[in-house]
Amino acid sequence: MSSDQSYCAIDLIRIVGGIAALLGLGTPVFGDVDSVDFFESRIRPVLVRACLNCHEGDDAENHLRLDSREAILKGGDHGPAIVPGDPEQSLIVQAIRRNRDDLIMPPEAALPDHEINDIMRWIKDGAIWPKSIELSNHDRHWAFQRRAEVDLPPSNAWSNHPVDRFIIQQWENHHLQPVEMASPRTRLRRLYFDLVGLPPSPERTEAFVRATQIHPEWAWEGEIDRLLASPHYGERWGRHWMDVVRYADTAGDNADYPIPEVRRYRDYIIDAFNVDRPFDQFAQEQLAGDLMAEHDPERYAELITATGFLALSRRYGTAPYEHWHLTLEDTIDTIGRAFLGLTFKCARCHDHKFDPITVEDYYGLYGIFASTQYPWAGGEELHSKKLPRQHFVPLEQRDELLSTYRQQLDEMSGQISDLEQQIETAKKNAAENVTPLEKKLGQLTIAHQSLNRPGIPHGLPAAYAVTDGTPQDVSIHISGNPATTGRSIARGAIHCFSGAPLQIPSDQSGRWQLAEWISDAHHPLTARVIVNRIWQHHFGQGLVATPSNFGNSGAPPSHPELLDYLANEFVRHGWSIKRIHRLILTSKTWQLSSKTVAQNGQVDPDNRLYWRHNRRRLDAEALRDALLMVAGQLANGRPGVHPFPPIEGWKWTQHRPFKERYKTPHRSVYLMTQRLQKHPFLGLFDGPDTNATTASRTAAIVTPQSLYLMNSPQVATLSEDFASTLETESQSIDATVTQAYQLCFSRPPTSHERDRGRRYLQQYESVAVATGQPTNQAQQSAWQSYAKILLTTNEFLYLD
Amino acid sequence: MHRVSNNSQTNRRQFLKCSAAGVSAATVYHHRCIAARAMDGHLTTPVLSHHPAQAKRLLFIFLTGGFSHVDTFDPKPKLTQDHGRTVDAETLSHNTTLPLLKSPFKFSRHGECGMAISELFPHLGSIADDLCVIRTMQTDILEHFQSVLAMHTGSATVPLPSLGSWLSYGLGSLNHNLPPFVVFCERLPYAGSQVWDSNFLPPEHQGTRIQPGPDPLPHLASLQNNKTLSDLEFQMLQDVNEVHAEARRGDPNLQARINSFNTARGMMQAAPEAFNLSDETLTNLARYNVQPGDNSSFGWQCLMARRLLERGVRTVEIIDTGSNNNWDSHGNMQDHRPKAERVDKPIAGLIDDLKQRGLLDDTLVAICTEFGRTPWDVGPGRNHWHRAFTCLLTGAGVRGGTVYGTTDDYGIHPVENPVHVHDYHATILHLMGIDHTRLTYQYAGRNFRLTDVSGNVLHDILS
Repeated sequence: MSSDQSYCAIDLIRIVGGIAALLGLGTPVFGDVDSVDFFESRIRPVLVRACLNCHEGDDAENHLRLDSREAILKGGDHGPAIVPGDPEQSLIVQAIRRNRDDLIMPPEAALPDHEINDIMRWIKDGAIWPKSIELSNHDRHWAFQRRAEVDLPPSNAWSNHPVDRFIIQQWENHHLQPVEMASPRTRLRRLYFDLVGLPPSPERTEAFVRATQIHPEWAWEGEIDRLLASPHYGERWGRHWMDVVRYADTAGDNADYPIPEVRRYRDYIIDAFNVDRPFDQFAQEQLAGDLMAEHDPERYAELITATGFLALSRRYGTAPYEHWHLTLEDTIDTIGRAFLGLTFKCARCHDHKFDPITVEDYYGLYGIFASTQYPWAGGEELHSKKLPRQHFVPLEQRDELLSTYRQQLDEMSGQISDLEQQIETAKKNAAENVTPLEKKLGQLTIAHQSLNRPGIPHGLPAAYAVTDGTPQDVSIHISGNPATTGRSIARGAIHCFSGAPLQIPSDQSGRWQLAEWISDAHHPLTARVIVNRIWQHHFGQGLVATPSNFGNSGAPPSHPELLDYLANEFVRHGWSIKRIHRLILTSKTWQLSSKTVAQNGQVDPDNRLYWRHNRRRLDAEALRDALLMVAGQLANGRPGVHPFPPIEGWKWTQHRPFKERYKTPHRSVYLMTQRLQKHPFLGLFDGPDTNATTASRTAAIVTPQSLYLMNSPQVATLSEDFASTLETESQSIDATVTQAYQLCFSRPPTSHERDRGRRYLQQYESVAVATGQPTNQAQQSAWQSYAKILLTTNEFLYLD
Repeated sequence: MHRVSNNSQTNRRQFLKCSAAGVSAATVYHHRCIAARAMDGHLTTPVLSHHPAQAKRLLFIFLTGGFSHVDTFDPKPKLTQDHGRTVDAETLSHNTTLPLLKSPFKFSRHGECGMAISELFPHLGSIADDLCVIRTMQTDILEHFQSVLAMHTGSATVPLPSLGSWLSYGLGSLNHNLPPFVVFCERLPYAGSQVWDSNFLPPEHQGTRIQPGPDPLPHLASLQNNKTLSDLEFQMLQDVNEVHAEARRGDPNLQARINSFNTARGMMQAAPEAFNLSDETLTNLARYNVQPGDNSSFGWQCLMARRLLERGVRTVEIIDTGSNNNWDSHGNMQDHRPKAERVDKPIAGLIDDLKQRGLLDDTLVAICTEFGRTPWDVGPGRNHWHRAFTCLLTGAGVRGGTVYGTTDDYGIHPVENPVHVHDYHATILHLMGIDHTRLTYQYAGRNFRLTDVSGNVLHDILS
C-alpha cells in the first residue's frame, strides 16, 4: 500500500459496540468484531484500489456504484451486484473470477486469488459493511447538541457554591462522602503550582496562614487574584496551550531546521493568557489574525504573530512544501482536536467511522488552507539548492521599506507580463527577432526572483505566520493519495452541525469565515472543549476524560450539566478564562484534601466524581522550575531569541540534522524544544509531544528518572546551590532543617522529622570525617546530601 | 464504573477481551497499570502472549544508509552481462533511462544450502545455513529519513511507536533491573530518537539509548565514591519517602516511585556487571573482533548485545552507525567494503556465540537496512532503491538456509513474493508470540497497530 495513505481504523468497532450497548441497541445487527475488521482490512482496500475508479459516484460505469452496501445491493445495468450469503450467485464474483465473457473485471488484470477468496468469504458472511451502523448514532451524540440552559442544583449545608452543587448531586447519587478540606498550607502550595507553576515562598505561606485565621474566604480569594495577576500565570497556562498547538522551535523537516521567529508566537500565547484575551477572540486571532490585522493597526504585529498556530504545522521531507498534504493534514487535525475536540484525520481517506465528518468536509477545510500562504523555515535545500527561507510575514504594516519593496515587485511583475505579451505578438508576426526580448525577459525574471525570494524584506522584523494565498477549491484525494484526485469540493467547514454553510467569497481563503464559525457563541463544541481543558488542568482530569476527543469514540462527560453550566457562564461573561479559574478555585471541591477513603475508593477508584483532590506529580516544567527556584537559581523574566547560529551559516541535512541544547536559567516554558530530538529533561519527565497536539501529559514512573534524580550532576549542583542558601552558620541545626523544609515543602518539619534530620546530618558528617574529610567540609557535604534528599523526595515531586 | 482489578495476572488477553466487549482499552490498561504498580511497581511485568512464542528476545541489527542488495545477497549475473545497457529508471522526481551497473563484487555459494553471498560478507557466508535471506523487501518512500522511520515504526510519515516499544508493551520485561528495550547507537540515526520512541505508548516502553564509550548509560554511576555515604543517603531518602507514603496510604504511585528508586539501585549494580567484560575469554573477544579495553567498537556492541539479551533485555538494537558515514555509498560501491569489514565478523561471531550458548533457540535476529540501491548507474554509482531490497532473519523459529522472494533479472522489482515492511514486522511479532492484528493501543480515537491495516506473516520462512 502507499505510504501516503493515512492510517485507517480497524478495531474501532469495539467502541461502536460499546456505544450500541449504551444506547440499548443490543447485539450489533451488522456483525461481530471480526467481520468488521475483515471488511476494513481485506475488502475496503481492494474495492478502493481496484473498483472505485470507475464505480463510484453518480457517473459510475454501467450505473453500478460500489461505494456503499445499499448501492451494491441495488446494482447497476446488470442488476444487483451481490447476493449476500451466496457468492456463486453474485455478479461481482462472476466478474472477478472472469467466468463470463461479457463481464470481466477489473478489465486490465485479474485480482490475485487471495483477494477473490476474501471477497467471496465476505459475501458468504453476509457482506458486512460497517458504515451504516455508525452514522445512525451521530445526530443523538451529546457533544453535537447545543448547550442546554442548566438550572443550578439545590444547595446544601456543605456548600452553596455553584460548582459544588453539581458535584454534590453526584456524590449523593453514588453514596459518596467527601474527604475533609486540605490544610491552608497544602491548599496554598497547590494553588501556586496550579496557577503559576512555582512553589510559594515561606514568607507568603506564613502570611496566608495568618490571614486565613482572620478571614478564610478573603484570604483565599486574595491569593487567587494575586496569582492571576502575576506574569508567571501566563507562563504556566500558556504552556498548557502550547501543548495543544504542538509548539516547537524547529520545523520537523528531515534536517529539523530551527525557526528563531517562532518564539514570538510563544510570547503571544503567554501574553494572551496574562491579559485574559477572550477565548473566542484568541481562537480567531490564531486562525485569521492576519486578516484582522488589516483593521487593527495598533495590534498589527501581534495579530500577524498569532497565526503562528497555523505556520507551526509540521513539515516533512527536504524540499520546500514537500509532502504538503501531510502538513495540511496536521493543520486540519490540530484545529479539529484543539478547538473542537474532533478528530478529522480519518476523513482524509474515507468518511469518519464514528463522527459525522465526511471526506467532503475534510477537503472543504483543505481548500481553505490550500488557499493560505504558509512560510518555509528552511530545510536541507536551503543549503543544497540555495533556496531561501520563504514567505515569513513582516510585522510592520505601513513601513516605507515594505511599500517601496512591494512597489518594486509590482513594477517588475508588470514589466514581465508586458514583455511576455510583446514576445507573443512578435512570434505571431514571425518576422521580428525575439531573442533580445527573451534575453531581457530572462534577466528580469531572475531579478524578480532574487528580490522576491527571501519573502522577508531586508530590515523588517518578521513572524513565522501565514497570509492569504491564491484562493482555490481542491479536489478530493482518493484514499488520501494526492496523486489520484476526484471531484472538486467547495471550501467550507464541516456540515454536520445545523446552520448555513460558510459563505466564502471567491477571492478569500475562508479562514476568517472558519474562525467565526468556530468561535460562534452557539457552537456546540468550542466553549465546552476549552472549559473542559481548564477543568482538566485544575483537577488532573477533564469532565470529559478525552479532552481532544468529544466525538463518539471519546469519553462521555462525568458531569454533563456542570460542563454546560461552565461553558454557558464562560460565554456569557465574554469568554474569560480567568473568570472560570476563579469560579473553579473558589469551590470547596477544589480545596478538598487528596487523602483517600477506602469506602469511596471501592465505588469510584478513579475519583471521577471528585470526592477528593487528585494527588499529582509535578510535570516536567514545574519540576525543573521548582528545583531552580528552591536552589535560588531561577531567572525571572523572558529571555530573548534562542542562541541559534547566524542564518548565513545554516547547512543542516538529514545526514547532519540540527541538534542543539541551549542552557538557560529561565523558566522551562522558554526552553528551546525541537521536533526530532526530545529535550533530555522534558523527555525524561513526560514533557509534551512536539510533533502532534498533546491533550494531556502522562506521569510515568520509570527508572531513568530515579537514576537522574540520584546521580545526575545537574541535581547535585542544584542541591549544592540549595544547601548554600541555608543559613547553616548562623543558626542551629534544627532551625536550618526547619528553613529547608519550609523552602522545599511550604511547611515546618514535624519533631520526628527534625530529629531524624539532625541525626542524619550528624551521622553523615562523622562518616565523612572518618574517611578523612576536614570537619567544615564534612559538614558542608552533609548539608548538600540532605538538600539533595529533600529535593528528590516524593513530597517534592508530588502535589497533595 | 469499572472495578479496579487487584489481580496482577490481568494480562493483555483479558485486556483484549475486555476491549472487544466494549470497555475502553485505555481504561483497562490504566487499571492494569494500577494493579501492576500495587503489586510490584513494575509496568513491564511479563505477560502472556497470543500464541506460543518461538522467540523470547529480539536482536535488531540496523545497517543504516541502505546496503546494496545486488552487491551482497541478491546476485544478478544478467546485470553483469548487460552492464551498460539502458533501462527505464525511476528517480525521486522523474522517470528516465539509465545504464545498468554490474556489481564489482564476486558471489560464491555457501553452506549446504548453497546460498549465494558476495565477497563482502565471508563470515556471514560461513553461517549461511542459519540465515533466511528475504530478497523482495519493499518500502514506500525513497528517502533515508522516511524509510528508516518505516523500518522501525511501520510509518514512513508521522512518527509512531517503535517495534521495540511495541514488544515491551506487548510482552513486558524479563529483568526489572535492566530496561526492556536497549538501543546501541553511536551517532543519531535519520529521524533521530523517534526511531526508538514509545510515542503514544506508555513511556516505560521507550528505548534506552546506549552510546558506546566510557559512559554508556547516563547517570548510572553514583557521584559519591564513598559507598557508606551513598548507602546512607539512599537509606535516608527511602525513609523520608516511607514516612510520607505512610501518611498517604492507598496511593500506588508513591509506592511505585519508592520501588523505582530500588530498581535504579539494582540497575546501578546489574548494569556495570553486564558491561564488565572481565569474564569473557580472549578467544571469545576475538570472535567479535574485540580487543581488551575496547568499549565502543561494533564488535563490542555485538558482544554487549549478547550480554544484555542473556540478562533478560527483551529487545536489543544495534544501529550501525548513524546518519552519516554509513552504507549510503553513492559514488563508489567499493565504499561498501570497509562498512562490511566492520560488521561482518562481529555479527557472524555474535550469532555463533548465541548458538553455542543455546540462546539462538529463543532469540530472533533481524539484520536489515532501510532500502537497497539502484541496479543502474546514476553517474557515478548507485542511488537509493526502495522497490526491492534485502533483509535477513535468523534464529528462533526461522528456517535457516532459506532464500525468500525473487527479484527480476536486474534486481529492480520483485517478481515473486514481495515483502512489505509491514509483512516483515508481522513476521517478527508472530515469532515473538504476538498476532500483529491484535496488538493494539487506543490513541486519538482509534486503535493503532505496528502494521497499520496490513501485514502478512511469512509462513514459508518459519521452521
